[in-house]
Amino acid sequence: MCSASRAQLRVGASARRAVAVSAGKATKCGTRRLGNPDGTTVPGIVTLAIDPGALAGLLAEIPRGAVLVTGSTGKGTTCRMLAQVMRASGLHPVVNAEGANQNAGLATTMVARAALTGHLPPDSLAIGLFGVDEGSLPEVLRQVSRPKAVVFTNIFTDQLDRYRAPAYVKALLEQAIQTLPPDTALVLNADDPRVAFVAPEANNPRLYFGVEDPGLGRGKADPTSDFPRCPRCDGALTYACVYYAHLGHWACRDCGMARPQPQVRLTKADLTGAYSTRLLLATPTAEATLEIPLPGLYNAYNALAAVAAASQCRLPEQSLTAIEQTTTALFRMEKVRVAGHDVYLALAKNASGYTEVLRAVLGDREPKQMLLGLNDYPGKQPDTSWIWDVDFASLTGLIPAPVISGNRAADLAVRLKYAGWAGPDGDSDLAIEPDPVRAFQTALARAPAGQPLWVVSTSVVLWEVRRWLADHGYVRQLWREQTGAGIWQA
Amino acid sequence: MAGMRITVCYLYPDIMSTCGDHGNLETVLRRCEWRNIAVDVTELRLGDRLAPDAADLIMIGDGGESQQHLVAPDLWKVKGECIREAVGRGAAALAVGGGYELFGRFCQPERGAELRGIGLFDAWTVRQNAVVSGHYAAFSDAHADRFTGELVVRWRDTLLVGFENHGGGTYLGAAAQPLGQVVSGHGNNGDGTEGVILGSAVGTYLRGPCLPSNPALADFLIGAAVIGRYGVADLPPLADDLEEAARGDAMRRARDAARAARAARAKLRLSAFAQASLEHGSHARTGVVRAALHVSTRRRPAAGVTLKRSGNAPSGGSR
Repeated sequence: MCSASRAQLRVGASARRAVAVSAGKATKCGTRRLGNPDGTTVPGIVTLAIDPGALAGLLAEIPRGAVLVTGSTGKGTTCRMLAQVMRASGLHPVVNAEGANQNAGLATTMVARAALTGHLPPDSLAIGLFGVDEGSLPEVLRQVSRPKAVVFTNIFTDQLDRYRAPAYVKALLEQAIQTLPPDTALVLNADDPRVAFVAPEANNPRLYFGVEDPGLGRGKADPTSDFPRCPRCDGALTYACVYYAHLGHWACRDCGMARPQPQVRLTKADLTGAYSTRLLLATPTAEATLEIPLPGLYNAYNALAAVAAASQCRLPEQSLTAIEQTTTALFRMEKVRVAGHDVYLALAKNASGYTEVLRAVLGDREPKQMLLGLNDYPGKQPDTSWIWDVDFASLTGLIPAPVISGNRAADLAVRLKYAGWAGPDGDSDLAIEPDPVRAFQTALARAPAGQPLWVVSTSVVLWEVRRWLADHGYVRQLWREQTGAGIWQA
Repeated sequence: MAGMRITVCYLYPDIMSTCGDHGNLETVLRRCEWRNIAVDVTELRLGDRLAPDAADLIMIGDGGESQQHLVAPDLWKVKGECIREAVGRGAAALAVGGGYELFGRFCQPERGAELRGIGLFDAWTVRQNAVVSGHYAAFSDAHADRFTGELVVRWRDTLLVGFENHGGGTYLGAAAQPLGQVVSGHGNNGDGTEGVILGSAVGTYLRGPCLPSNPALADFLIGAAVIGRYGVADLPPLADDLEEAARGDAMRRARDAARAARAARAKLRLSAFAQASLEHGSHARTGVVRAALHVSTRRRPAAGVTLKRSGNAPSGGSR
C-alpha cells in the first residue's frame, strides 16, 4: 500500500516533469515561429511554472556535475573557451546561452536537451558548464546538486542601479559560497582584490589565476578604476602593477594583505594584434602557448580563467590548445562581411568594458574607422555618466572620423569633445547620427574601400544594426543561427 | 586671460567619484584651457590638508554610503575648517550628491550613526524612507527608497539639467538659499527646491556629471574662482553647440518622463476608483458607470450614489 502510493507519487512527479518539459519545448517552437529572438528564457519560465523542480531534477541527471562561471564580465567568453577544452577532452559540455544566465535561462538550456519523457538522454560524458549572473548565483546554486567548481572572473561597477555597488555584489557572492559543498573548488582571479579573498571563512579548495607579465602593466592608476578598498581592513590599496581598471598586483598599506600567488599564470602576452592575441600560460604541471582569435587583455583574462578551470577539472593539458578554435559570439567582436568591409560588432556597456574594447582594437596604435554608440535604458539603466570614466583621452587621434550614434549620442559627443577629440568649437570629423542604421551606413561609407569597420556600443545600437544586417541578408536571423558553443539555442 | 592661473582642490578622487564625477573636473580644465587660463589641480586624499589661501575652486563628487562613512571623519577633522575659510574668502566650490550631503551640518545614513558634516551649508540630510534590511530586501527594492531620474532646475535665467539618484532628502535651514527651483524631478526633498548656494559655493544633486551639460554653471564656477584670485573675470564665450544639443535631449527626456508619470498616476487613480466602486456597488455595471461618471464630473462625487437610488429618489444623477 505504502510503496504503491509512493510509486504513484513518483509517476505523478515524472509525468509532471514530462509535461513541463514538453510545454517548454512547445514554447520554444512557438516563440521561434513568431520570430521572437528571446527564445533563451521564456521556455524555461514556462517549464518552471509547471514544475518548479524541473531544473534541479534535470541538472541532477548530468553525471559529471557542473562548472559555474560568474562575475561581472567575461562569463560567456570564458565558458565558450572552456567548452572547447572540454570537447577536446572528449566530454560533452552542456552550455547555457550567453545572457540567459539565471534559472530560467538554465532551464531553457536543459529543456532543449531533455527528451519528451522529461529526462536527459543518458550520456556518461555530459558535464554542465554555465555562465551565471553574479546576482543570481545564490538561486542558481540551490538548483545545482554537484557543483565541481565555481569560477569568479572579476567584480566591476556594473549596473549600478540594480546592484548599487561592487561591495553589494561581493556580499551576494559570499552568501552563495556559504551554501557550497565543502569540496567544490573556488577558481579565483588573484588580481581582483574583491574576488581573491571572497568569503574568507569558507574552507573550500581555492585555485588562483593571475597575470604575471609586468610588460602589460599601466604603471599608474587606470582612469577607469573604481578603486576597491582592502578586503580585510578597508584600507587604501597600493599597486605594484595595474593591468586594467582595478586588476593588478595589489597590497594593502595598512594591514599587509596582498594579492595571493596564483598557481595558473599568464606569463607573457602580445596584445598588439587587433584581431588576435598570443599568450604564454603556465599551470602547475604544464606550459602552453596559445594564439586566441580575440584581441585585448580582457580576453587574455578569459583564456586564463578557462585554463585555470580546466586545470582544476584535471582536463588533459594537450586539450588546452582547443581554446584557439573559440569562435566569437554575438556582439563579442562578432565579424560580419558587408559590402567588401569586415564589420566587427563589439558590446561595451560600462566604463572598463568600453575602454578595454577600444584598447584591444587599437592595441597596434593604427588609426581605425569606428561607429561609437551610446544608449540608455529608461527605467533599467537610465544613467550614462560612466562614459566619463572611459579612457578616451589616451586614444585621441586613433579614431580620426568617428560616427556617434544612439539616443545618447549628444552626451557621447560632448564627452569626446572634452577628451580632446574635438576642438573648442566642436570642430572635428565627428559625425553625430542618433539613428543607428543611418549611422552605420554613414560609417560604412566613410570606411576606405576594403578597410574594416568597428561598431562599439551599448546593446540597443548593436541590435538595430544587426536587425538591418539580417534584413539585408548579411547575417542570419538569430533564432536560425547555428549553435557554436550552445549560444542562443541548443 | 593670458597669464592667469587658478588652483582646483579636488577632494578624494579615488573615493568620491562614483558617477563619472571627474567629468566635472575635466570640464573645468578644458574650459580654462580654451581661454588660456592655467589650472593647477591639487588632489586631496584621506589625511591631506587643504591650504585655504591656495584654493580657488574646491570640488567633491558623489559617493554612496560606504564612501561617505570613509571620508566623513577626515572631511570634518582635517579639511572642514579650511574649506569654510576658503569659501568665506571667496573661493568657489562644487559639491555633488554624497559630497553635497557632507558639506551640510549632518547626514543620516541608512546604516549606523549620523555623520557629522562640515557645516559649510546650513543644510542637513535624512533618509526619507525607512529601509528594509538585508541584502535581498535591498536588492529587490533597490528603487523603492531612492529618487532616480532626470532633474531639471531653474537657475538664474537658465535651466540646469542632470540626473538625480539619491536616497537622502536634504533640508535647508532658514538662512540657506537654494541653488534653484525644480522644474522636473525631485530635488532636495520634494519641496520644489534643489541644491544650495552660498557665495560661490554650490551644493547639488545634479549628476550626469553636471558641468559638461551645464556650461553656464561651469563658467559661473570658473568665473568665481578667477575673481577670487584676480578680482575680475571676463570670460570670453565658447561655442557650446554640442553641449546645447545634449541639454536639449536631457530636457526632452525630462518632459517625456513627466508625461509618462502623469499618465501612470491617472491610470492608477482610475483603476483604484473603479476597483472601489466594484467592491461597493451591487453589480459590476453600476461600478463602471460610476467610475465613468466620476471621471467626467469630478465636481459631483455624489453622482454615483444618486444614480444607484434613482429608482426611489426624484432628483440626482439624471440631471
